[in-house]
Amino acid sequence: MIPAIPQPDPLALPAPAWLLWALLLLTFFLHVIPMNLVLGGSIIGAIARVRGRRADRAHEAHLAHVIVKAMPVLISATVTLGVAALLFLQVLYGRVFFASAVVIGWWWLSVIGLLIVTYYAAYLMAMRETSLGASGLFLAWLIAAVVGVISLVYSNNMTLMLKPADLVARYAANGAGTQLNLLDRSLLPRHLHMVLGAIAVSGLAISVLGVLRRRRDPAFGQWALRYGAFICTAATVVNIFAGLWWLAALPRDVLLRFMGGDMRAMGELLAGILLTLTGAGHTVLAVTAKRPGVMVGISAGTLLAGILMMLLTRDAIRRFSLDLAGYQPVNWVAPQWGPIAIFVALLLVAVGTVIWMTRALAAARPGGNVS
Amino acid sequence: MNYPVWDVPASGLLIAVIAILHVFVSHFAVGGGFYLVLLERKARLGGDAPLLDYAKRLSRFFILLTLVFGAISGVGIWFTIGLVHPQATSSLINTFVWGWAIEWTFFVVEIAAAMVYYYGWDRLSARLHMAIGWIYVATAWLSLVIINGILTYMLTPGQWPLTRGFWDAFFNETYWPALVARTFVAVGLAGLYAIWTASWLRDAALKARIARDAAWRWVLPMAVAIPLSLVWYLDAAADAGVPVAEIIGARDGGLVSLLAAVFSTGIATGYPVAQRAAWWVIVAASALTLLTILLAAARSRSYGRPLAGLLMILGLVAMGGSEWVREDLRKPWVIGQYMFVNALRLPAPGGAPAPPEAFVQRFGADRFTVDAVNAAGVLKSSVWVRPVPDHLLAPSDYAARADHQGRELFRALCASCHTIDGYLAIRPLVKGKGPEALDGVLARLASPVDAAGAASNWTTLPVHVKTWRSRRMPPFAGTDEERQLLAGYLALVGGAEPAALGPPSPSADIGKVYYDANCAACHGPDGLAPLDAKGRKPAEFYDMIGRLPAINEMMPAFEGTEEQRKALADYLAALPGQAPKGGAQ
Repeated sequence: MIPAIPQPDPLALPAPAWLLWALLLLTFFLHVIPMNLVLGGSIIGAIARVRGRRADRAHEAHLAHVIVKAMPVLISATVTLGVAALLFLQVLYGRVFFASAVVIGWWWLSVIGLLIVTYYAAYLMAMRETSLGASGLFLAWLIAAVVGVISLVYSNNMTLMLKPADLVARYAANGAGTQLNLLDRSLLPRHLHMVLGAIAVSGLAISVLGVLRRRRDPAFGQWALRYGAFICTAATVVNIFAGLWWLAALPRDVLLRFMGGDMRAMGELLAGILLTLTGAGHTVLAVTAKRPGVMVGISAGTLLAGILMMLLTRDAIRRFSLDLAGYQPVNWVAPQWGPIAIFVALLLVAVGTVIWMTRALAAARPGGNVS
Repeated sequence: MNYPVWDVPASGLLIAVIAILHVFVSHFAVGGGFYLVLLERKARLGGDAPLLDYAKRLSRFFILLTLVFGAISGVGIWFTIGLVHPQATSSLINTFVWGWAIEWTFFVVEIAAAMVYYYGWDRLSARLHMAIGWIYVATAWLSLVIINGILTYMLTPGQWPLTRGFWDAFFNETYWPALVARTFVAVGLAGLYAIWTASWLRDAALKARIARDAAWRWVLPMAVAIPLSLVWYLDAAADAGVPVAEIIGARDGGLVSLLAAVFSTGIATGYPVAQRAAWWVIVAASALTLLTILLAAARSRSYGRPLAGLLMILGLVAMGGSEWVREDLRKPWVIGQYMFVNALRLPAPGGAPAPPEAFVQRFGADRFTVDAVNAAGVLKSSVWVRPVPDHLLAPSDYAARADHQGRELFRALCASCHTIDGYLAIRPLVKGKGPEALDGVLARLASPVDAAGAASNWTTLPVHVKTWRSRRMPPFAGTDEERQLLAGYLALVGGAEPAALGPPSPSADIGKVYYDANCAACHGPDGLAPLDAKGRKPAEFYDMIGRLPAINEMMPAFEGTEEQRKALADYLAALPGQAPKGGAQ
């Protein structure tokens, strides 16, 4: 009997698995933040653009404008941080990832075309927002729709790779790369959970925007604080049900590990729920607080910690599913310490340089260059 | 085989299209940044407001092209190679994950610097703005420095096959010439893009200034430097064992000989796609150079978008063709001295780090080396090959079985390059040929030889690959029965009647057996040179068989036994002849 999971390369793993895993988690966490703002922000932005057409909803029109201006940078950050996560994913799980990508081949490749379309649409919006007129509304919805499709394709690949035996059967039936994993019980709740989470994070970002703008534009600042809190809380509350649906849709053996079979996983799940609820709750408290900045800060901190716990839960689902499918990690390690050290040093330099450049730009005023 | 094969005709072309468009933009992303910062410096030092305004507008075009299309299409190459060649991608990721991680740190700064540069035109001081620009230039080039190591490793893996060391792979034999060549290309492309963007300017004087400067200082010097660096590159590749002359179909590796081969017609050896691609490179680059001189010398004020667009297209063709030649030089490998294009690996050479016992116990011995697949067969090695339905196992239904299993074998072993009727179509190659002849060709697609051309094995590095008519094919791997089934399937594709197809049966006629397996592919009725016996006697054929390469250099030397030679001569003499004796033999 030939194993369904591809045989690993006859090459040593170039780093300890824990290091690769930690970098996967770190880079994915960094990717998820702008990705949530793109996914959730594009939906909120499109709605705000529709609602902001009425004269008495100037704040929503302004919010739509802010989102439009931020979108190219957010997409860029999403892609830039996402490639690193995908790289480390492929080192650790390439054997099932590549097989799954082939089964949904055309859909997977379509991500590239869709990304280019949505990225150019975002730049067009940012550069020509006022002159676009009605087509601006169309573009706003196009961006939201395309980003939604991209995230759905990703969810398909990430769920399909957890079922190696299913992959073989699917490939035998159709190897043209036109399939999706839509009939997977866990796919829709998982995707819904992600989308609602993205909307909640974007709601928090709007609250943060409100705090930052309160002095310059008190009316908009207060409105954004309240509006963001509403979105964050509402999306989080609905997301509790989506999360429960996702849990219920997990294979029984995987679910049991979260129900006491694996105490660490259960703890991470519970911590994730508590932290996100705490985070959302503090956005509401911020609306009436004397020092809303502190409340929003607590909210951001707890929500980010909650996201980290959720990512650990997501990672546990992957590990449990693959473990049950017979996936065994590579047990031949020959770390490339020289290149690893260079990477770490350059990463620190890169982070420092990016922070320095960004602060320099933020500190400079428009028209500051008089030479 | 270890991974599913994406059922897309000519999937390799997908990589080619995406990669060529990407490199045309990504090299501009390197050279264009350099051009932009120098342009800004020149404009600021000279107090040249129109030029500074042009630099600003160029930076917007630059951002939109490089950050969006350039960056995303780069990710697109990664997505595509993962789909088209997951096994090679997996090996590359395993070997170079830290290379890519290092490149990613440059990529992050590059993207951020490009954005700060663009958004900072009216906000940052001139000094700071240009400093950001230089940061962009440095990191963009350093990205190239890293990726170049991975790309060149695939052609010339250096000592890596024996040591599996990162740096042995990275600093391989073609690393430096390729880096120099790509840097020159980036500089040249910057000038080309400047000519293109200037063609949109209404200010004729400014347009002329930019175009002349771009042509004389950026494009034309590189028109000299790039060919020189490519000669260095080809020389380094040949020194590393890449059969450059053989692939181009040249007599030797000299420049004149290579050029002569590229411009010859009807070369029957070597790799035709590489030959044609090289032709396009030389023609497009020459036309580009001449037109750029014309533009700079006589048309700098009046040239328009059609001429600038034509230059861009010629640049794209020259660059795309160069990448195509580079890819073809690597054939039949996807990773030199390690993995063939059909994902078969060489068995681990002696002295290379071997997997520890615990690894072998957990995952078994490598199932996807040439030797392992020869021993076990494709159908018993790969879970992605569709099993044979029971009803096809009956001996009476051999044609249907060949059709099913042969198709699966074709998909596993051949479909990464060949289609049935499209790109690198197989049907014209097998048309009218019998299963015995095709079986003979499959058996000799590729074999290991040493530097002197003597038979060797797949584990003694460096492996030189002797391929059928120098077509740079990987070996067939699988059992004899699988080879015969694939041959049967190909015969059906070529128009053979299913009813005439049966399991190979031993023939009493040794000469016919030898002829079918070794000669009929070319000398059969639909072959390249159909045989006309011309009424020759067995003794004449016996003599000719002993000097086949002297009769025609395309023919391999006779490798059979004395008994087979006599039997073949008898068989050939008995074949009907039409033309009189004499003339070309």
